[in-house]
Parts: sequence; C-alpha cells; structure tokens
Amino acid sequence: MEIWRLPISASQRGKLISAGYTSLSSLSSISSSDLARELKVSESEAMNILKVASHSRGSETSNASCSIVEGAQTAWDMLHDEESLMHITTSSADLDNILGGGIHCKEVTEIGWSSLSLIVNSVLKYKLTTAFGSESIIFMLIGGVPGIGKTQLGIQIAVNVQIPNDFGGLGGKAIYIDTEGSFMVERAFQIAEACIEDMSEYNRFLRKDFQECKIKMLPQDILENIFYFRICSYTEQIALINYLDKFLSEHKDVKVIVVDSVTFHFRQDFDDMAHRTRVLSGMALKLMNLAKRFSLAVVLLNQVTTKHTEASFQLAFALGDSWSHTCTNRIVLYWNGNERYAYIDKSPSLRSASAAYSVTARGIRNSSSSCKRIKMM
Amino acid sequence: MTPQSLLQLTSQKCTTGCPILDRLLYGGIPCDSITEIVAESGSGKTQICLQLSLHAQLPVSHGGLAASSLYLHTEFPFPFRRLHQLCLSFRSSNAHHFPVNDNPCDRIFVQSVHTADHLLEIMSKTDPFIENSKNQVPVRLIVIDSIAALFRSDFDNNPVELKRRSSLFFKISSKLKALAKRFNLAVLVTNQVVDLVGPNEGINGLRIGNLVCLHTSGRRVCPALGLAWANCVNSRLFLSRNEEVIREENEKSNGQSCDFVKKKMRKLYVVFAPHLPESSCEFEITREGLFGVER
Repeated sequence: MEIWRLPISASQRGKLISAGYTSLSSLSSISSSDLARELKVSESEAMNILKVASHSRGSETSNASCSIVEGAQTAWDMLHDEESLMHITTSSADLDNILGGGIHCKEVTEIGWSSLSLIVNSVLKYKLTTAFGSESIIFMLIGGVPGIGKTQLGIQIAVNVQIPNDFGGLGGKAIYIDTEGSFMVERAFQIAEACIEDMSEYNRFLRKDFQECKIKMLPQDILENIFYFRICSYTEQIALINYLDKFLSEHKDVKVIVVDSVTFHFRQDFDDMAHRTRVLSGMALKLMNLAKRFSLAVVLLNQVTTKHTEASFQLAFALGDSWSHTCTNRIVLYWNGNERYAYIDKSPSLRSASAAYSVTARGIRNSSSSCKRIKMM
Repeated sequence: MTPQSLLQLTSQKCTTGCPILDRLLYGGIPCDSITEIVAESGSGKTQICLQLSLHAQLPVSHGGLAASSLYLHTEFPFPFRRLHQLCLSFRSSNAHHFPVNDNPCDRIFVQSVHTADHLLEIMSKTDPFIENSKNQVPVRLIVIDSIAALFRSDFDNNPVELKRRSSLFFKISSKLKALAKRFNLAVLVTNQVVDLVGPNEGINGLRIGNLVCLHTSGRRVCPALGLAWANCVNSRLFLSRNEEVIREENEKSNGQSCDFVKKKMRKLYVVFAPHLPESSCEFEITREGLFGVER
C-alpha cells in the first residue's frame, strides 16, 4: 500500500511524498516527533498521520476471513470489507474528508443543499467502494437550492468514478439519469479534461518515470463511459429504473448511478399523496436493491422546498419526510456567506460535519479560502 | 431504452446577435434547456426576446438555428413597432442571408396568452403545430414573455392555492422541457421581480444563485414566483438597470456651471447556469438592438 491511498489531506500527502515517504512500511518505525520535525508540521498532526497509517496497515494484513455459513459474515469481517471498499472522490478534499474518503459504493446519497463544500480537492480521494459481500448499501441523497452545484457535483461524480484503479479510483462507468435537462455535455467535457490533467500532474509528482504510466485516457473516453438517459415524465423514470436491472447485468462495470433530480417529475400531477409516497418508496427500494446486487453507489440529487410550520418557513427536502428517511446518507448543500457548504444531515457511519467547497471551471474543488488556510500553515 | 451517446449530443446555441454577450453566454441561448431572464420592467427583457427571435433565423454557420420562432406574450400590447424597427436593422446587416422581398417577421409566430391554463392548452397544441411546420422553416425557439404575469393575480396567498400554483409551475416546465427535447428547441422565459424588504438575503432568508442580492434601480429585488419556479428553469440571467449621475463641468462664457448628466448603466448577470461561471457584462440598448459593452 502506498502513501497516496492514505485518507489524509492533500497537503499532508504532498509533504510526506516530498520528504521521501512513499510506502506505508517506511512510516512504520518513525516516531511522531521525528516526523513532525521532518515535515515541519505540529506533533499532533504527525501523530494523526501515523495513526491513520498504522490503521491502514492493520486492515491490509488481516485479510483472512473464515465464514462459518456460506454467505454469512461476522461483523468483524464486514468491518474489514467496508474498509477495503473503494470510494468515489468528490474532487474536493474537504468534502471527501467529511464523507470518510468520498462517496461509498453500495450506499445511496441524496445531495440537496449546500453541504457539498466538503468534497475534497485532491482528485484521487474520490474512491468508490467495490468490496463484495458487505451488506451496507450506499444510497446518498444530496439536496440544495437551485444554483448551489447539485448538477455540477453529479457530473463530477460521473467523471470521477472512472479514475483508474492505479490512481486510487474505481475505473468504473456511470449511469446518469437526467430528468431536468441540466446536464451540459460541454461542461462534462471540461470537467473530464481537468480530471485527466490532474491525474497526469499527480502521476508526474508521484512517479518520476511518467513515461511508463502515461495516461491514455481522453475526455472523449470519459464521456463515452457515461450512460446518459434523458427522462421527460415520471412514468418514463419508473420504467427506466425497472429496466436498469437488465441494463446493469449487461454492463457490470457501472459503479455509480446518478439521478438528477429524483424529484422533478413527482412535483406535478399527483393529487393523491399516499399514492405518490408508495410510488416513490417502491422506486427507492428498487434502487437500493440495484446498489446491493451490483455493488454500486446510488446518488440522488433532490430539490429543496420551503416548509411552512407555525408561521415560519424552513428549508426541507422535496417530496416529504418518508422519502428522505429511505436514504442512508443525506447531504445538504447551502450558502454560508459567499461560500458553498456541504453538511452531512444523516449518515449511519459518518459524524455530522460540514465543509466548504467551490464550483470552479475545473469542477468541484476545495473552497479557495480553505486552500489559503492550508497555504498559510 | 438505450442511453444517448454524449459524443453525438452537442448542445446547440442560438446567438443573441451580439458577440460580447455571446462570449459571456458561451455562444448564446442553449437548445434543449430553459433559460430565464429576470428583470424589472424597462430593463430590456422584451428587447432580448425580440432580438433572439430574429437571430434564430440566421443559418447555423452564423450562430443561428435556421429556424422560425413561437412568441407567446402575456403582457399587452405586443411591441410590433419595435419588432419592425429591429427587423429593419437586422435585415440590412444580414441582407445576404435572405431573399430581397423576404420579411423575417413572417417567421415569428405570435400568440397571446391570458391565463396559466390557457398556456397549457396552447402548449398541447404546439406539438402538432411544430410537427406540421416541418416542411417549412421549423420552429426551434419558444419565447414566453412573461411567465410571471400569468401567476401574479389569479392566485390567493393561502397554502391550497400556493400548492396549486407550484404544481402548475412543474407542469408547464416539464411540458416545455419535453418540447425542447423532442424538437431540440431553445426556450427563453422572462420573469418579473418583487421588492425585497427586511434584512434577510432573498425571500425567507434563502439565497438562490451566485449573487447574494439582486440590485436594480437602487432597490433590492428578487425574482418573482419563488423557490418552486426557480427549480423549474435550467439557467437564470438577471438584468439590472441603475442610474449613475455623472457631473460634467462646462465652461461657459459667464463662469463655470455644473451639469448633472444621468447615465443609464445596464448589466447582465449569470445568476445560475449548469454551463456558465458567475460572470456579468454591461450592455446598452440602442435603436439597432441590445449590445454588450466592453470596458
């Protein structure tokens, strides 16, 4: 295992690599005070790096699992499986940090408000989990006001899932279900281009012999690996999700499904709210099933709406509470002053946290002010 | 159901007729997408709409869509005289694209709309209308000027009515998006503003888009129709209008006197758009149309 797989910040990683630490084993016998001196960081920071390193080493060596009944797993095994799960980086290091390294495969996330700023800047941190057998499903709901960057995050995820294994990515493909018509090919091309540039930069930085692993990817290839479906009604949306089962068994390399947005067509034509809730939870169940069977991540983007309670207005995810509860992870994106923020509203495994992010020409990145902070240190 | 190939799916743009504005908008108003222009009255919303419906007729090689347009207007009267004026300058500057006795106004279909239900009814007739007009110049642009006028009087301010209203928003928007996708149309919608009172940013303290606050004529405003409608459009542009007082010193024979000259400052902002960064551009409205100004 190499240093760049460690879930630490990009600047720390940079310092480690420039000080000559490239493999985990090189960190095994050094004391925190020595490391702090060498990297010119505080001792507590060095201690933290060593803790992360020894933790990763531990999970690497104990791979021996012994299941008693076929298919059954002990919680211990599941923990290791989960640690070996890959994550999809969000391209913003801060955002990845709060997401525990990026968006997990097998879970569904709803992106809704401004909490996206936590997406980490280091491109390679966005890894999707690929472990098989783990029962935790990545189902993520992300919500936010118009213009906060939901679609940008969706496109970024669809691009980042394709970062090859060599670069700590998943090397998978993406399904993008567009219900709003906000997916712009030119924008996806821009983000793909920036992603490839970042990878080659990283390559040069990490391995001097960059001839050997020169990036052969082109932005066109990345666009080709995004299966794009444009949906114009809710019946089409349900039909497509029913059909995905067949599609996925023919395209086993799909690692993420992005739905942008899951809400749009359900906000009209429904007078019977109970009916709508049933249709929606049926759809969520199917998606969760797909995430589990094909071990992929499902990212649902959601609109937000104002909720009128006791003479005050509150921001809430559209389509009601029962729908939001079905998602294992919920992220809210919001404005804080002039910065975009992402906030983890609900997650079984992550503590609630928030991080700033920004939408740049190259895609989702750490917010510029937090970059300044890192530079100041 | 098969996925669309993104490599073949290039988004076409319709030129605004001004290279500076086109640069800001990365080529113009995108097809298969809804673009909204928000501004107070007299800022130039209708001017852009008229200008776009003329420039949509330019050949694709010149940034147009080589197409006719459907102009739905809800505010009366329709500015025929201004359209005619713009048409004359449009023809004289693009004479080589059109036959001598050709009138570009013939390819702008104008329809008045009175209520939201009327709009839905018209849109259901639009499908066959566009299909049948295929052999002539196809319709590739729909303008709705303005959407807000349909909703600002007919609805009461109570939960039931507001729910009905937002359901209508989503119905109209999804119908427009379906049309835009089916015929690869550009859709341009204008919206009015409401004044903002109180210390909060946006209505209910809710900020939408790149700008903390929209300012025009020295007042703080925000787009009409609220959050629900903001969810229905793909891109939102904002036009501001401010008066700047410039002091001009004139030397006259009997000593010095100061003249205060009022100058209009118009600006276009990108509030949000999936393909555009936060940016803005000054523009001016002349007899020939609406043009960006580079400083």
